[in-house]
Amino acid sequence: MIRNYLPSFILLLVFLTGWEAMVRFTEISSLVVPPPSAVFSVLWDGFTTGFLWKHVWVTSATTVIGFLLGCVIGFVCGVILGEIEPLRRLFWPYILAMQVVPKLALAPIFIIWFGFGMKPTVIITALICFFPLLENTMVALDSVTSEKRQLFRMLGAGRWKTLIHLQIPSGLPVILAGVRVAIVLALVGAVVGEFVTGSEGLGASIIAAQGMMDSSLIFALLITITALGLLLYQLVLFFEYWLLSRRVKGKIH
Amino acid sequence: MPNENVFFAIDKASYAFEDGNRVLHDIEWEVPSGAFHCLVGRSGCGKTTLLKLAAGLLQPSSGRISIENQPVLKPSQKVGFVFQTPALLEWLSVLENALLPISLHRRVNEEDRDAARKLLDLVGIADLEARVPAQLSGGQQSRVALVRALVTSPPALVMDEPFAALDAITRDEIQDDLLRLVALNQTTVLFVTHDIMEAVYLGDRVAVVDQGKILSSASISTPRPRDPNCRYDADFAATCQKIRSMMSSNTASAA
Repeated sequence: MIRNYLPSFILLLVFLTGWEAMVRFTEISSLVVPPPSAVFSVLWDGFTTGFLWKHVWVTSATTVIGFLLGCVIGFVCGVILGEIEPLRRLFWPYILAMQVVPKLALAPIFIIWFGFGMKPTVIITALICFFPLLENTMVALDSVTSEKRQLFRMLGAGRWKTLIHLQIPSGLPVILAGVRVAIVLALVGAVVGEFVTGSEGLGASIIAAQGMMDSSLIFALLITITALGLLLYQLVLFFEYWLLSRRVKGKIH
Repeated sequence: MPNENVFFAIDKASYAFEDGNRVLHDIEWEVPSGAFHCLVGRSGCGKTTLLKLAAGLLQPSSGRISIENQPVLKPSQKVGFVFQTPALLEWLSVLENALLPISLHRRVNEEDRDAARKLLDLVGIADLEARVPAQLSGGQQSRVALVRALVTSPPALVMDEPFAALDAITRDEIQDDLLRLVALNQTTVLFVTHDIMEAVYLGDRVAVVDQGKILSSASISTPRPRDPNCRYDADFAATCQKIRSMMSSNTASAA
């Protein structure tokens, strides 16, 4: 495992060394491209003084709350629209139109409606997560083989039982693929949402650092955001594995 | 004149798809209680549709289907259906799959589990009860589907080419498993296949379906329980040939 990643790690060291050397021994201003050493020292200070922790917390909370809201509402709407044909026909053109609207372009109106701070960012994040869940849930519920549907009819299962005991568990891998897409989009939504609406959070800090021409801080924030994204993605993967593990390896221990 | 001993009664049943394409024409057929009837025919001859009508999954465009003298208006709870594929739920264990017909409607108790285990044991897969379908071979999956269809001890089974995807040796073995299981409670069986040998080995009566009609039928007199080696008897081969000729003669005239 570690051995597999060793070449990648060496590549990183080479890259960082080259970058450091380039900044030190050429005319490039460290204001434009900061050396890695400066970035890491800003990062270190940020976490030891607690300055970064506050923003990490705000962005994490925004991402997770928006993600959960968007996923739950997207899933529920996916079930309702997937199961009730007339409703699907009624809403489909509008859903399609809403999906095409760049959600971040809605930020200004959300600021008017909900003020600055976390609330509009959470709503943008939730909206971004809503669509992959809606679409994947609808596809997933519809993808049950006709033999299994007939089996449930023969067993006297009504619509609700078929949904709970057949369609949702059978579509779970597809639904969870939507969740995986949503978590990545959620972080993008939260950070970019903070560009526009926030006074706190990693996105807002990037804008603040830009104002101060503090490129080291911008790089430090980017590294933090990447780490946060990887962490959240891994958590979702772990959750997915936990839910689906039984189908793969069974209960034999 | 209702007959006490008839389980499935198909009376002048026709079926047409929504586009008006008729797949069954005035089918008349009866399956006595406890009998094992096989329908043989080529792909697309309408035999699967006939099976779905008998089970109540489809309603005839005209004519009547009844089970024990009651008209069949919805999927009948008296009938276990075995499909072309095992159609197991991949997130449930073997035992849970076998108990699905019960667990959908009420809490499973120890008695149900024992009944399912007994059936799993009869088809030789009792030791696999904790596995999930992905860990089973095709033959094992088919056996679970068979146990699932029988776990509530329905008076009848309808089976739609359930063993078509299995290799020849496994198919021979599972045919004997099936005969053993249905002999337990004298289960009535309506079995669809395109394999004439399978039909002759399993059935009391074999009917030939072609282009939406039952052409003719033959009763099979081989005594039960059937000896697996009877497949190699001259009588057996002669019966198969007879049924084969029923199919070919018609195709020749149609072509």
